[in-house]
This record gives sequence, C-alpha cells and structure tokens, in this order.
Amino acid sequence: MEQALLTTIFLFTLFFLLGSGVWVGLSLLGVALIGMELFTVRPAGDAMITTIWTSSSSWSLTALPLFIWMGEILYRTRLSEDMFRGLAPWMAPLPGGLLHTNVVGCTIFAAVSGSSAATLTTVGKMSIPELRSRGYPERMIIGTLAGSATLGLMIPPSLTLIVYGVTINESISKLFMAGVFPGLILASLFMGYVAYWSFVYRKEVPPAEPSMSFMKRVSEARFLIPVICLVIFVIGSMYLGIATATEAASIGVIGAMVLAALQGSLNFATFRESLLGATRTSCMIALILSGAAFLSLSMGFTGLPRALAAWIDGLHLSPYVLIFALTIFYIIIGCFLDGISSVVLTMAVVEPMIRTAGIDVIWFGIFIVVVVEMAQITPPIGFNLFVLQGMTEHQIGYIARCALPLFFLMCIMVVILVIFPEIATWLPDNMRTRPGT
Amino acid sequence: MSALRSVGRTLRPILDFIYNSCGFLAAGFLLIILTIIVVQMISRWMLDLAQVMRSLFGEGAADWVLANMAYQFPGSTDYAGYSMAAASFFAMAYTLNNGAHIRVSLVLSKLHGLPRRIGDIWCFGIGFFFAAYFAWYAIRATQVSYKLHDISQGQDATPIWIPQVPMAIGTTILAVALLDHLIRVIFVGETDLSAERVAENKGE
Repeated sequence: MEQALLTTIFLFTLFFLLGSGVWVGLSLLGVALIGMELFTVRPAGDAMITTIWTSSSSWSLTALPLFIWMGEILYRTRLSEDMFRGLAPWMAPLPGGLLHTNVVGCTIFAAVSGSSAATLTTVGKMSIPELRSRGYPERMIIGTLAGSATLGLMIPPSLTLIVYGVTINESISKLFMAGVFPGLILASLFMGYVAYWSFVYRKEVPPAEPSMSFMKRVSEARFLIPVICLVIFVIGSMYLGIATATEAASIGVIGAMVLAALQGSLNFATFRESLLGATRTSCMIALILSGAAFLSLSMGFTGLPRALAAWIDGLHLSPYVLIFALTIFYIIIGCFLDGISSVVLTMAVVEPMIRTAGIDVIWFGIFIVVVVEMAQITPPIGFNLFVLQGMTEHQIGYIARCALPLFFLMCIMVVILVIFPEIATWLPDNMRTRPGT
Repeated sequence: MSALRSVGRTLRPILDFIYNSCGFLAAGFLLIILTIIVVQMISRWMLDLAQVMRSLFGEGAADWVLANMAYQFPGSTDYAGYSMAAASFFAMAYTLNNGAHIRVSLVLSKLHGLPRRIGDIWCFGIGFFFAAYFAWYAIRATQVSYKLHDISQGQDATPIWIPQVPMAIGTTILAVALLDHLIRVIFVGETDLSAERVAENKGE
C-alpha cells in the first residue's frame, strides 16, 4: 500500500513538473531525484552524477550532433528551391500531379535531416506558394505536407532513432536500416492517397503541366541529384559496414559542406549559423538524455518497471493486444510531449515490458517512431501543426483536419508493421557489420 | 532598488558574454568531434589499404602505407565522447537563452499578467533548484576524481577529472543563467525568454 502511495506521488510529480512548463530535461532530473529520495537510502547526488557522466560522454551519442549539423548545412543552401524545380517535372505526369512533390520532397529531405520541423519548412517554403498558384486545393497541400514531414522521424538519419538507440543500448546503424523500408512504404501510402484523391475528385485537379523532354528534366534536377547521391552514399556506407553511424554522419557533414560550397552558399556566416544551430539542438537533446538516464536509474529503484512488466506478463496478453495498448498510450502521450521526450520518458518502463513479452527491440524502435510521428499531427501539441500554422496562418484545427487522412494511413502503417515485421527487421539482419562495432 | 539596477546593468554584459562564449566553446568541441572521427576513419581506411598493398605489391608497400599514412590514435572514441560531453554541457546556458531547451508551454503560454508571472517564477525557481543541485554534485564529482587520481578505463588513460571540468563549469553556468532569469522575472517582471518564443523555436 505504501509502495502504491509513493508511486502515485512519484508519477504525480512527474506530470506536474512537465505540465507546468519546467524544461523537460530538468523535469526528468527532478523527478528522478525525488524518486531516489523516496525509494532508497542511497546518496542520490553521487549516483546521479555517475549515471549522467556515463551517458553524456558516450561515444555512440556523437552521431547525434553530426547528423543535426549535416541537416543544418543543407537547410541553409538553396535546396528548398532546387527541390521543387527538380522534382516538379518528374512528378507532373503522376495522377495527382505536383502534390507528389510534397511527399517525395519530404522523403528526400528526411534523408538529409533527422528533424521533421526542418523537413517541413524546407519543403513547404517553396511548394506551398507554387502549388497554390497552380490551383491545388488548400486542404490537400496542407495535409500532404503535414503528413509527409513526419517521415523526417523515420527515414535515416532520424534523431528519434538515435535517441532510442542510445537509451536502450542498441546499434544505431541497425535502427537506421530498419527505418528504410517502413519509411518508403509510408511514403508510397501517402502517394497512393494523392493518386486516389485525383481519381475521386477529378474536378479539383488542376490542368496538367506542359510536358518536358527527358534531358530537360535531368537538367532541372541537376542540383537535386548530388543531394540524392549524398543521401545514398551516407545510408549505403552504413549498410555495407564501411562506416559506423557516427562515421557516416561525419561523411554527411563533409559532403553537405562540399555541396553547399559548390552551390556558392557556403560562407563563414552560414557555416557559423549551421554549427551553432547544431550545438543548440544537440545540447537540448543531451539535457533530456541526461535527465532520462538518471530517471531510468531512479525508476529501477521504484520497482515500477519490474512490477509493470510482471503484471503485463501475468495477464498473458497476446503481443498484438500489448502493441495495440501501447499504440493508444503513445498517441495520448504524444498529444502533450514531442517525440524525443516521449521516447526517453517511457523507455525505462516500456523496455522491460517489451523484452519480457519477447518483442524485437529493433522492430519496436520503428513502431515507436511511427506512433510518435502520428502524434506530431494530432492536436493540441503537434509540432508539425505549429510549424504549419506559422507558415500558412491557418487554425491548428483546420490543419489537423487536413492531415487526418494521413493520420489514418499511419494507423494502417502500424497494422502493416505488426503483420509483416520483416519490413523493419530484414535489412538490419542482412546488413554487413564491421567486426568490433 | 536602484542599487540593484546598477549592479544588474554592470553584470548584464558580463553574464551575456559568459553565456555566449561558452556556446561558441561548445561549437568548437563539435568541430573537434568531427576532426577526431574523420582522422580515425581515414586511418582505418589506410589499414585496409595496407592490406591491399600487401597483396598487390608485397610487404614493403604495405609498410610504407602504414608508416606514412596511417595515424594510430588510441582512445579516439573516448576523446570523442569527452568532446560530446563538453559540447553538451558548455552549451547548456546558451541553449536556454535561445529558447531551444524543450518544454511543454501549453499552459504557460495561455496565462497572462500575474498568473503568468507566478508560472514563470515557479519554472525558473524549480529549474534553478534542480540545476544548482546538478552543478553542486558535478563539481563535487570532479573534485573527487581529482583527489582520488581516477584514470579512465579506456585506452586513453586520461585522468578523469579533466573531461569532467566542462560538466562542472557548464552545469554551474546553467544554474547561474536560470537564477539570472528568475531574478529578472521577480524584479523586472519579465524576461526575454517568453513561452511564445519558445513555442516558435521548438525545432526538434
């Protein structure tokens, strides 16, 4: 009974701190501290520093700032304009026309940046005005953009997957590989939706673009092709085992700088801004990870994860029911927290649960990312909704309604992942790894 | 009150200078991470190249590659890890001042006037408390490592207090920055770190 009371106090403090607006990292640290004081007689402060030092000086974490930096550099190039110009001639003949530039543009940018906010602004900055001027319906422009930008969380390099990998000590390269096919399938689902729309609402589809010769199309895409090559090289080097995730990230940074220099947009100011931007974002995540490392130590003392895992185990649920319950759980949490925070906050409790239930942790990483992606486009706190609100000056509610069909497509994606887990696990099982990594 | 103002005016540029220069220092450590990783990666490729040279041109060519092009850098992963910690901790206050530390501003951004001020005081106050606790133990841990001559378990064999110094400094400055904001909220009524600005900056 006393245990139950203490646990209640512990959880209440957690939600109170987070809800009242205390920075997520400091909230986690504070709750962990209270947990240590309530549940153990061990000196909390020294345990805290040992844990945080180990987690924040870890080698595998170094992939994080480098991948952020790579995205920051390309974000500051003319990629946004080139993206639309380069993609439009290729997408125009498809049913649904230029709306596909939103989906494909987001997929490509997702592969150079791990962040969905950056993906959204880079692609949307150019495609929203262009699509509007061609008369595409507003709800389709907004909806496809909001939905596709969530691919940033899934297609490697994904910041959420790095954080997940660091939290549960799994190979980041493997997680990245696991994200490739589900990301592409999700993008195809979105494109299928655009095509479906063009058949059902024929009247809404604007007149077709004038067609272009093949060579003309290639020349329009000449700035885009190097970026795609860089992406393939970065992901490929991890798959072939030539480079670890961190090394692939550093190749990405240097490649991005070379591309920016060739384009003429690399100067001291953009270099400095990209580096400082990467410093801030990686520091933000590092503070959350520090708090989370201490919280998972503290959670261990509360006995909550073990008790919960044992309880779930005792219920003899089928894994499907467990996954279903977790989906609901994460969508609710995601309504209030961003993706990275909800992953690190819950893993201390969820990890023993899924390991006991015999669920593959690499697969679960992809699952959790899809579910967290869904939360990005659900009110009241959906980050993509906020960014789009800033860009289009529509109400959050309107944007969320536009994105609703894509939300359902993501639900279908979860079902596909559950039925065919090999989509996520095949690539990491078959990648080459260097000995010793 | 006016004495406090003049102290504030003198301290303001000094504090801002400290926050920003630590931010730049952190960015420098990111550059160091990149350098370490690139050097390590190239030297590993050179080891592979030496294998190729051995099979193609014999021992001599392989030895030449090893001697001239492969720089062995023992403990490089440890150094990259320390740089990661230094980059994270040095940037703490700088990131805070730029509104980049993530928070749930759903309730806070809806409040105005006095309730908002109370909310801000609560956040900065409790934030300062946790950060100060963190800093206190970070300093202590660094002192203990120094006194006990703790050596890293890795190949680098660095005395562990050296890479821990950035943690001690960075967390202390974070605590100072939070206290700085707290004092401004209490006496001036607001700080440049408003929840609205945070809502705009929540790039993830």
